[in-house]
Amino acid sequence: MRLRRRLVPYGLLAPGAIWLALFFVVPMYFMGELALRSGTPAIGFTFDWAWSNFPDSLDGNTEQIVRSFYYSGVATVLALLIAYPLAYAIAQASPRWRLLLLFAVIAPFFTTYLIRTIAWKTILADSSPVVDVLQALALVPDDGRVLATSGAVIAGLTYNFLPFMILPIYASVERLDMRLVEAARDLYASSGQAFLRVTLPVTSPGIVAGVLLTFIPAFGDYVNAAILGGTNQAMIGNRIQSLYLFQRDYPEAAALSFLMMALILIMVVFYIRLAGTEAFMGEEHEGR
Amino acid sequence: MEAATATVGAAAGRPARAWRWLRRNALRIYAGLAMTYMLIPIVVIAVFSFGETPRDKLDFALHSFTLEYWQHAFAIEELNDALITSVKLAGLATLGSTVIGTLMALALVRHRFVGRRAANLLIILPMASPEIVIGAALLSMFVYYQVGLGFTTLLIAHIMFSISFVVVVVRSRLIGFDRSLEEAAQDLGATPLETFRYVTLPLLAPAIVAAALLAFALSIDDFVISNFNSGTTVTFPLYVFGVALRGIPVQVNAIATMLFIITTLAILLVIWQQRRAERMSAVQPDPEPAAS
Amino acid sequence: MRTARDTRTLVVAVLMLAVAAVIAACGSEETIGGGNKGEVQVAKAGKPTGDVTISNWPGYIDPGKNGTVAEFEHKFDVNVSHIEDINDNVQFFGKLQPQLERGQSGGRSLFVVTDWMAKQMYDLGYLQELNHGDLRTVFDSILPELEKSDSDPQRKFSIPWQGGLTGIWVDTKRAPEIRSVEDLFDSKYKGKVTMLTEMRDTVPLVLQSQGVDVAEATKEEWLAAIDRLKEAADSGQIRRFTGNEYTEDLTSGNVVAAIGWSGDASLIGREGIEWRKPADGCDLFFDQMVIPVGAPNTAAALAFMNFVYRPEVQADIAEYVNYVTPVEGVQEILTQRDPELGRNQLIFPPPELTRGCSGDPDPPGSAQDQQEVTEAFQDVITG
Repeated sequence: MRLRRRLVPYGLLAPGAIWLALFFVVPMYFMGELALRSGTPAIGFTFDWAWSNFPDSLDGNTEQIVRSFYYSGVATVLALLIAYPLAYAIAQASPRWRLLLLFAVIAPFFTTYLIRTIAWKTILADSSPVVDVLQALALVPDDGRVLATSGAVIAGLTYNFLPFMILPIYASVERLDMRLVEAARDLYASSGQAFLRVTLPVTSPGIVAGVLLTFIPAFGDYVNAAILGGTNQAMIGNRIQSLYLFQRDYPEAAALSFLMMALILIMVVFYIRLAGTEAFMGEEHEGR
Repeated sequence: MEAATATVGAAAGRPARAWRWLRRNALRIYAGLAMTYMLIPIVVIAVFSFGETPRDKLDFALHSFTLEYWQHAFAIEELNDALITSVKLAGLATLGSTVIGTLMALALVRHRFVGRRAANLLIILPMASPEIVIGAALLSMFVYYQVGLGFTTLLIAHIMFSISFVVVVVRSRLIGFDRSLEEAAQDLGATPLETFRYVTLPLLAPAIVAAALLAFALSIDDFVISNFNSGTTVTFPLYVFGVALRGIPVQVNAIATMLFIITTLAILLVIWQQRRAERMSAVQPDPEPAAS
Repeated sequence: MRTARDTRTLVVAVLMLAVAAVIAACGSEETIGGGNKGEVQVAKAGKPTGDVTISNWPGYIDPGKNGTVAEFEHKFDVNVSHIEDINDNVQFFGKLQPQLERGQSGGRSLFVVTDWMAKQMYDLGYLQELNHGDLRTVFDSILPELEKSDSDPQRKFSIPWQGGLTGIWVDTKRAPEIRSVEDLFDSKYKGKVTMLTEMRDTVPLVLQSQGVDVAEATKEEWLAAIDRLKEAADSGQIRRFTGNEYTEDLTSGNVVAAIGWSGDASLIGREGIEWRKPADGCDLFFDQMVIPVGAPNTAAALAFMNFVYRPEVQADIAEYVNYVTPVEGVQEILTQRDPELGRNQLIFPPPELTRGCSGDPDPPGSAQDQQEVTEAFQDVITG
């Protein structure tokens, strides 16, 4: 009887754990196995501990890796700048309205990801009125264009991953006790100081989460680059897609994938260490 | 005297007042602008579904208004097939992942056991990995075993990536769960299974429904993982990607707008249901008045 | 306590990896990829019925209720799914290859790929052989010069569908002076030019614009041409490399010139855009109908091949797609319908038009060399 009790959680867990292990963890192993093969698509790939695939794929794709960093980095920062005030504004609204506002903010993303991006392609087409306005405002050179430039890809990335930034920040901002801000103001802090030393540190967990949830998928994205970008805007995801699906050069594709995972892991660990310290400092300030 | 000061103040301060009004409402104005920005593509999609074009493909200029593409929204066989495939896939994937995920959530919240932390990690990892890595890894495994890519491999993938999200949603509800009702049922002689069926499950239902909706939406919308693992099977996003290069039939916009409206209504319904449930649970019989 | 839990997590993780390794040990393949090494199938003829799926390029057949597909369905009581999902040979191949490897056709009974791709697929064992006895109409009506071809000398596995010329589509309203491939590199048109992802179209054209004789070109010359493309791509001169979707860029006005295929007029929705044979070179290709391994309903596929070789049917196709027709007798039929059509140089190219055109050649050298060139080119077009 006791034994059955103790086995219950395992029974409940089993289907999910097995599914995830089989179709998420195990495939990683196979990706690694593929990465160590060599050959050509015509004659096939045999396994021979080809560790050189990793540095080789790094060499051949440095440009795209750097570009991915750049695009997803800028997109994350832009998303943060757009999302934070928005989340703050929603949190300030009366409780009845908040859910509805949140919903209104997320609703645009109920259209398919692809169609949203293609809509931007229409909006930013060379002949569209939007581009004409941008040219009039001198944001775009007169003979220039928006599509097939880095700007278009970054704009697409920013837009598409905005909800991932808004929601965690909102969750954090909602917990902010406005009395703390008032107290700061009472103690003669300016709005700016109150923001920097009270609001920001308290909402930092949300920012941390939002940045992670935005940067990581943006880094691996290739849809925005494929639809809004030109040849010069290919990201590491485009490379991986081409290698797997068109060139069928599985070892290089797998090696590049692994490299990408490793890069992300390093960044995340680094980032959490960094953010962890800051959040910690924020709490200290609050204590004082 | 006060009146005089007031008038003087008013005359001198109109621009200043305007400035102050601006400052105070800056946040709200900004929020309005931001939300407009987020809605632009939707408006564009909807608007361009009413434009008449010579080749029945999306043109980048606005033409005359027509309802033609809405009336014949399902005229393209390939598009319909892709939609049907997507719905079938999403339905089955939702079923699978909701069941599996709910069970997992129950295990994780209500029991302590060896490997709990590992299981938690296992759940978070897929959510945190970029889709391309998940899709590519799965493809690697399928390539290795020379498994035929198609509906089945898609289904496997979709269930896999939805499980984590289901677990998170159901788990959050379970954590704040009031167990006294369950205890009461057990006191009244219900077996654990009966308790689960008649007390726990109904109370958990809103969360499960929300999780199922989320899983459905994730599946219908999935592109990257499907792109890698579908072989020649075409889902709706894959169809759109295919035609995006060659010329999108205007019907796609009409259908996208339709999907948007349906999803919006569905979620509004869920929210409204939530509100009702909250209001109804807030209604309690008045406590017995103390004997006077 | 903490350390104990950490160790347990680690142990579980290691265990999972070990399990994975064990799973992998069973069912490991020596070689992944490299082609189907089984016996060659021959396509079986018979009475065509049921369903059949055909993959083709966009705008490559006359559509609609009175189109060839509908006619075929009518005459033979077959339900045809004609899917226009081929955008680029390599992309299409990549999508289908895992299934072809396992002897499956992805549900398709027939598809249309360029001759060099057909040869590659055949060499990899992905195609069924065709019995000439089953294709009487085809071999009765085929143009004599197409009875044999370099890539398929005995017509064992491929039947010509349509041919075409790769040249330049020009927006005559905005850039009427573009007449050669060299013009496309003019910085005046920076970012307003696209080229094809099809290596055997784009690179020979560039070689010719550099004055190189394609038939004698060396690997180094190919690589040099590819370098030139890379420069142009990096500088933003070439907006992007496309498959059939260059027609979209032309329609939307995003580009003023694109390397493209002669018959795609029906796909371009903007006025004033015309196809021009480049002054410094050209390319002539022939797309082929092939039947993949594991194709269902080969009887219907073979019947379709015969059907489209009937001169009246082919005339309908040629009238719409404006590509080079492989069938005899079509010129007379079209001249009767409309004398202009009978003189259409895109459908019936005179020798002057096709003189000196390269024919979608493979890169020179050994398989290793070819792989090197292909990879270099893929690098450039992926970006």
